[in-house]
Amino acid sequence: MWPLLVFIAAVMVVVAAQIVLSHFLGQRHRERATGEPYESGIVSEGSARLRFSATFYLVAMLFVIFDLEAVYIFSWVISFRELGWSGYFKIFVFIAILLASLVYLWRIGALEAGPPKRRLREAEVK
Amino acid sequence: MTEAQFVALSPLILVGLAALVVMLAASFKRSNGLALGLTLAGFAASLVSLAWAAKVAPVQVTPLILIDRLALFYLGLVFLTGAAVALLGHGYFEKRAGYRDEFYMLLLMATLGAGVLVATTHFAALFIGLELLTISLYALVGYTRTEPRSLEAGLKYLVLATVSTSFLLFGVALLYAELGTMEFGKMVDLIRQGGHRETLVNGAIALVGIGIGFKLALVPLHMWTPDVYEGAPAPVTAFVATVSKGAMTAVLLRLYLLVGGAIPDSVMTLLSVIAILSMFVGNLLALLQDNVKRILAYSSIAHLGYLLVAFIAGGNFAPEAVTYYLIAYMATSLGTFGMVSVISGREREAEELRDYAGLFWRRPFEAGVFAAMLMSLAGIPLTAGFIGKFYLLAAGVDMGAWVLLGSVVINSALGLFYYLRIVASMYAAETSAKPGAAAREVALLGSATLAALALCLIWLGVFPAGLITLIRSAVLGV
Repeated sequence: MWPLLVFIAAVMVVVAAQIVLSHFLGQRHRERATGEPYESGIVSEGSARLRFSATFYLVAMLFVIFDLEAVYIFSWVISFRELGWSGYFKIFVFIAILLASLVYLWRIGALEAGPPKRRLREAEVK
Repeated sequence: MTEAQFVALSPLILVGLAALVVMLAASFKRSNGLALGLTLAGFAASLVSLAWAAKVAPVQVTPLILIDRLALFYLGLVFLTGAAVALLGHGYFEKRAGYRDEFYMLLLMATLGAGVLVATTHFAALFIGLELLTISLYALVGYTRTEPRSLEAGLKYLVLATVSTSFLLFGVALLYAELGTMEFGKMVDLIRQGGHRETLVNGAIALVGIGIGFKLALVPLHMWTPDVYEGAPAPVTAFVATVSKGAMTAVLLRLYLLVGGAIPDSVMTLLSVIAILSMFVGNLLALLQDNVKRILAYSSIAHLGYLLVAFIAGGNFAPEAVTYYLIAYMATSLGTFGMVSVISGREREAEELRDYAGLFWRRPFEAGVFAAMLMSLAGIPLTAGFIGKFYLLAAGVDMGAWVLLGSVVINSALGLFYYLRIVASMYAAETSAKPGAAAREVALLGSATLAALALCLIWLGVFPAGLITLIRSAVLGV
């Protein structure tokens, strides 16, 4: 047990030393451009807090979810003959549930890429 | 799957099916009433199928799930509570903008998770049930997306519940590594036989205990309760306080019955300390609050402390005492949080103590029902809460657990103080309640549910014999 304790203590000491030493030895200055990001000498323009469209994120998440479900279907396919009709009905229920959730996602518009249709229509009116 | 197994599992299947139907209905026609109707139909079908399943019980369905009388009893309890929450949610979300149908879908799935929990005899199913319940709750707690506090509560619950679940999972992994099984019964036998590494198994059990203790909000793990209870929409708070805790208690009860009361003294001492701390911390912190939802949150921490006393000091009485106390607690919690959701207005929830000032003069019926609920929480005679506490004290006297009993008595007095504070402010002459908190219209379904609950509480307080017989046949049939 004790080598582990020594190791934990050593880690603590090293981390603490880094923080304390850099606190005392590190330089400290506050000029006009200190807080700004370094852009190879070019003065940065505007804020970094832009708003991105998050639809790609949603599609990626849906992909991950449905991709993971495919793992279960593969594991069923491998033992297709051994599982017989009972296995067939079980995977049928599983896929039916997936299909139902896909219908739901389609109807609430989660599968649509790009800005929502409503906003496009508003843009046309303008 | 044989026919008997299918029949035994039908209550769970029907609730799952109802969730799917509500989801499909929501994708084609959005309607609060339709979704409520489908949800209630689903719960009603499951409740009916319980009688059907009772004829074939006990049935082991795969190694994961055992449908026996205990499971059926708790399934009934969980489904009834879920249906009541759906009724309360209808009025609550009707008043608010935004999607409503998904509430019922998530509610059904969370109830399904709780149903799996109460019928499980295997750690794998325990984990599946817990995750189904908890993941649905993340979304439910943060359901009113436009309110920052609800989102905050959802995020808090997400982070903390995930951490606690990982503790549970690590404990289960260690137990599996050492004992080579995840079935409750086999595990208990193997631990009894010995020949394993004691420290590892004890540590693993402690880790599992942390996961369970978090769900029950026992004291060192209670920090999330007030914030989540306050931020979540009131019907969801009712669900978290009742179904989620009730299902976990059923798991504990099943483990307790398997161990057969042969719990080492050191564990008993630890549990006693946790119970006493839960009671004192819950009640003392509730005294400091001015927010009714937070007061009720702290009171629920204290009540789980009482419940733990029933486990520790119950002896042979324990399963009965725990179940009776749990039913009384669930009915009253449902009633109190339900009341908060019924009298809340469009703009915000009625959660400040002063929103209740003079409630009796504005809405006598609701105030009367609320007072009855609070009296039951305090354990005043003629309510179910009294019989629950009586059970607990009688069991404790039987075992001679005087320290625990002393704490229960002191805490009952402490509790009475803040319950009466709410009651007193309801009957006070009308003062300046903040605007926007009071509902202008009466939610008929919600009020009817609450009236039924209040009648039920008083009925159970005056004629407890029927329920006690039912509980006995459920817990002794294991």
